[in-house]
Amino acid sequence: MSGTEDEPRIGVFVCHCGHNIAGTVDVEAVAHMASNLPGVAFAADEMFMCSDAGQTLIKEKIKEHNLNRVVVASCSPRMHEPTFRRVVEEAGLNRYLFDQVNLREHVSWCHMREPELATEKAIDLVRMSVARASKLQNLPIKKVNVLPTTLVVGGGIAGLRASLDIADRGFDVLLVEKTPKLGGNVAKWTHLFPSDETGADIIKPLIRDVKKNKRIKILTESKVSEFDGYIGNFGVTVKNLKTEKEERYEVGAVIVTTGFEPFKPVGYYSYGESPDILTLAELQELPRSEQLLKISNGKPVKKVVFIGCVGSRQPGVKGHEHCSRHCCSATAKAAADLRDRVDEVLVLYQDIRTYGKGHEEFHRMARQKHVIYSKFPQNEYPDVIVKKSKITIKWRDVLADEDLEFEPDMVVLASAMIPPEDVEETSHLFSLTRSGDGFFNPEHIKLAPLTTHTAGVMIAGAAQAAKNASESVIDASGAAAKAVGLMAQGEVEIESTVSHVIPELCSSCHTCLTACAYNAISMDETKDPPIAVVTEAKCHGCGTCAAACPSSAIVMYHSTDDQILTMVEAFLCPSPSIQGGG
Amino acid sequence: MSKETARALVVGGGVAGMQAALDIANQGFKVYLVERSPSIGGRMAMLDKTFPTLDCSACILTPKLSEIARHPNIRLMTCAEVGSVTGSAGNFRVKLRRKARFVRENLCSGCGACSAECPVEVANEFDQGLGFRKAIYTPFPQATPNVYTVDKENCIDCSRCVKVCERNAIDLEMKDSFVNLDVGTIIIATGFELFDVSRYPRLGYGQYPNVIHAMEFERLINAAGPTHGHLIRLSDGKKPKSIGFIQCVGARDVQKGVPYCSRVCCMYSIKNAVMALEHNPEAEVWVYYADIRAFGKGFEEFYEMAKSRFGVRFVRGRVAEVMEGKSSHDLVVKVEDTATSKLRLIEHDLVVISPGVIPSSGMDTMAKKIGIDQTNDGYIEISHTFFGPTITKIPGVFVCGCADGPKDIPDSVSAGSAAAMKATIILSSGGT
Repeated sequence: MSGTEDEPRIGVFVCHCGHNIAGTVDVEAVAHMASNLPGVAFAADEMFMCSDAGQTLIKEKIKEHNLNRVVVASCSPRMHEPTFRRVVEEAGLNRYLFDQVNLREHVSWCHMREPELATEKAIDLVRMSVARASKLQNLPIKKVNVLPTTLVVGGGIAGLRASLDIADRGFDVLLVEKTPKLGGNVAKWTHLFPSDETGADIIKPLIRDVKKNKRIKILTESKVSEFDGYIGNFGVTVKNLKTEKEERYEVGAVIVTTGFEPFKPVGYYSYGESPDILTLAELQELPRSEQLLKISNGKPVKKVVFIGCVGSRQPGVKGHEHCSRHCCSATAKAAADLRDRVDEVLVLYQDIRTYGKGHEEFHRMARQKHVIYSKFPQNEYPDVIVKKSKITIKWRDVLADEDLEFEPDMVVLASAMIPPEDVEETSHLFSLTRSGDGFFNPEHIKLAPLTTHTAGVMIAGAAQAAKNASESVIDASGAAAKAVGLMAQGEVEIESTVSHVIPELCSSCHTCLTACAYNAISMDETKDPPIAVVTEAKCHGCGTCAAACPSSAIVMYHSTDDQILTMVEAFLCPSPSIQGGG
Repeated sequence: MSKETARALVVGGGVAGMQAALDIANQGFKVYLVERSPSIGGRMAMLDKTFPTLDCSACILTPKLSEIARHPNIRLMTCAEVGSVTGSAGNFRVKLRRKARFVRENLCSGCGACSAECPVEVANEFDQGLGFRKAIYTPFPQATPNVYTVDKENCIDCSRCVKVCERNAIDLEMKDSFVNLDVGTIIIATGFELFDVSRYPRLGYGQYPNVIHAMEFERLINAAGPTHGHLIRLSDGKKPKSIGFIQCVGARDVQKGVPYCSRVCCMYSIKNAVMALEHNPEAEVWVYYADIRAFGKGFEEFYEMAKSRFGVRFVRGRVAEVMEGKSSHDLVVKVEDTATSKLRLIEHDLVVISPGVIPSSGMDTMAKKIGIDQTNDGYIEISHTFFGPTITKIPGVFVCGCADGPKDIPDSVSAGSAAAMKATIILSSGGT
């Protein structure tokens, strides 16, 4: 490994990204400018730096020109920083002797219509990065052990599935459920639409297997009250809600499967004004019977109306803009089934989203059984009027272009899936962020739907977004694979771009403790006065503490004051040999 | 199962298969990842942006490609197909046909000197035939492995590539070979294909040059595509000012044998509609749909943004016919706007058809070889919606991605991880 004390010999590689960057930025000019910068031993442009050819080029040039720093000017480091760090490492350099400039998201994509100015900006950014590169230092590569137990939070269908898979794979599980019983929402449903099974058919065998499995420790009526530590080594305090007793556990990974709550549509369609107006979830919980009976007086139901998108798809209403995904298919199946037992079934809808496997067939079956589908206009919702225990519903049918009226015996509101009441608490506990729908954000919405920004904490099922039971089961097994991946390896690399307190400068003011959003800083009370210390595995490298520290006692590795100020200087005072920019 | 067979086979190198391979490999087991085309990456590598975040598809995919390529536990085998499968869970023997690529993988450095020398130009399937490639080629710049392939059907045997190759990697006499793999478990991730939209002659695809399908649109707007991302009409190279997107073509249609919903077309079309406006904010963009199925995380929000912020116009109605002007190649879409019950004729200079999703070709033969069941639609049958959504009827054989039905990228990725979980339970327990 080349030392960091050597004279910098920097290699600069400017990526075309096909036409993505080169279509706007004059990449050749950027590379040419870079070749004249102090410390730069080699500069070139290349079609795709992330391609095998690009990676090989970096490695060859490191050898050929004895480079000891590498700058790649390409895309956002969020995607390819790991790729290029590995490349320089394979060529014998410390991975932290690499710096990436974002010429795509920060330049070509946002300044597409101003190519000349974009090129100037690219030149500025590369010049700053080269200045920073000359100040980069070797940082150690660190690993931490992973404890072979996973905490699963929530004992619904996703939590049960994840627990079983992990245990079957030979690792231990701590399953924590806040209610007295396992099974979650699915267990309550006598009709698990859109399937033919009851919730119990599905959930009982799972509960049986979970209870039988020696590797799974079940804690019902319990909640996680404290959570700390870092990937591989989390500390969990679980509180028994009945006895209020707390117990401490240590786990290596976490899967959050806290699910959803059916939205209680108070204020929508006279919900609450008649017992015969109920939600789809409540319908699914009715006892199975030959005949569908009115809740109000026990008489047989002859006419049923379903209303879709209740508390879903309402732009501008916080936590309700999302589509609840499961309801259209569940409604289609419920309507088709009920049609065998009642005279008329109506479904009032905005769009029919029977997207899933076999779901379009349920919709078709409902129509064949003469379930009547009627589309109501967007933002012109049906009126449900309850008068002397009689329900009247009035709406506009878009397709017939007519105002219609109907007197059903029962109204079923397909209400939204929303996050459970205590979602805020869960999100703070595990440092999870939430999206507009109120559910937890995955690490990446396309390619990392099961992991989160808290390393070692996974999400599965309806904790992530509205979804049906089958999809939740798939998620659960997938999240289990992520947890097992960590546990099976037994150790995991952690970032070295963390903050560090210089003990001699710490004034014991505690400012950094309050500034840190990740609880990564604590006070070493054995010192007098106590001195701040950073738990590196918990540090996200955000730099808030370093900025807040009034004594300049905190160093952000890889973003030191010296490295940042060099960039500022390079921006303000370009060396005279450089054309353009500044 | 001996240690020797504690290996998995993943068939299909799209995003689902890649994820499955990575999740097995990350648990310390060996994986053979088998792909019949010259590179992994699947359909996702062809897409421009992805919904609902407009992430550049290739950009988020390529880190996964290089992760696969460098993973010590993954043995990548491209240009390979499953020949036969015998045995049972824990002890499968798989005969693999490795099609001759006429370039020795261990010698080729991917330098491209051969391709530059090759005198033959043919339509590039990766660009949906809109661009060109040579007879010795890699499908796309980040192709993995970065090894060239000779398209023997179009090769004229001039041997110029052989002479120019400094590493002596090219062997035009190469023959197909067979290898036997002993594996404990198999994951099927063979993906999907697009419905052939020319089966709807009334929509004009294949007859009118300015009627294209969505994957062609993806390549046209892609900066690495044949037009460097310039959205143009194929008839005259002009910038289209009015674009119509037609939904549910080869989906939700009992008569054409595709009764099911393809699950992705609503969102990719809304995304494409938004991208069309990003390319040309002055354009008018219309979407003709039956139901807008924006059901996933962030999808409804994206749909709302397309309407309110971008001004995409949505018309509910199945398109009856696409007609072409006599000389201009301009188009007219005939549709009943069911929201107003009016028959409308709307002029467009580009029409993009959204094809539905069908099982990938060769699915029937492969299912027979392995002995797994198929649904009426031709997808792989799963054992149970709730107990085994990634499990097939054959113990030890799992399925993920679009092989068991249409899925979007995150659902395919989740299913890839889930299938990996099931596979590793078998690998760790030593059999059934």
